[in-house]
Amino acid sequence: MTFYKRHIESISTELYSNIYLTKQVIQTKCFMENNFSKKITLDDICKAVCISKYHLIRSFKKLYGMTPNQYLILIRINRAKELLRKDGAVLEVCFAVGFDSPTTFAGLYKKIAGVSPNNFKKSKKSNFREVLQN
Amino acid sequence: MKIKVTSVMVENQDKALKFYTDVLGFVKKRDIPLGEARWLTVVSKEEQDGVELVLELMSFPPAKIYQKELFQAGIPFTAFDVADIDKEYQRLIDLGVSFSMEPTQMGPTKLAVFNDTCGNNIQIFQVL
Repeated sequence: MTFYKRHIESISTELYSNIYLTKQVIQTKCFMENNFSKKITLDDICKAVCISKYHLIRSFKKLYGMTPNQYLILIRINRAKELLRKDGAVLEVCFAVGFDSPTTFAGLYKKIAGVSPNNFKKSKKSNFREVLQN
Repeated sequence: MKIKVTSVMVENQDKALKFYTDVLGFVKKRDIPLGEARWLTVVSKEEQDGVELVLELMSFPPAKIYQKELFQAGIPFTAFDVADIDKEYQRLIDLGVSFSMEPTQMGPTKLAVFNDTCGNNIQIFQVL
């Protein structure tokens, strides 16, 4: 057995000994990935896998390095990027990925993707024109 | 400032290009002559506008010692994200790739480590 494999096994034993809790947290991540386009709340997520809010927030952050809410936003923005690339209208994309406020969507999109959804679409169109001209 | 490239040191660039494209499935992006070596990069097939991986010729003796020690300890030089690690493990095993660590779960992540035949251990991982 290599030094690295021994090291990984030791981390697993020391930090992730509660297999049931790890499984529950993984299930909440899957629940968000399957339901991000709906209006889901932290209560819905907790109810789906029978875990308390306190436990979920604390354990999710420990396992994934971010809160469940931050992860949900990330899934939604990543999906929005895909839809905008396929030429979806900004407002339609906003609602399709589960946001109910275009302002919130635009702000979070810019924070995570580094550019606003409208500017992203504009740059995509000008790139396309350049390709056609060349 | 943006992260556009990262690199892996290799003993032979032709051999590395063959392994990283034919076996791992990456796509060659740039191949620019630079004297004895080349600026040789590959990208992920699913993300061809993503970060480029430079297959950098190992030519600095102290770095060779570092690479050798990492390899002997089974420590990966770098890691790649995969969608289904068990499927990818089986695909690579079928292609004759040698693993020093079979898919192993560590908390919410599953990891495996293989020999890239160019002097490095490479890790693949799936976030569950």
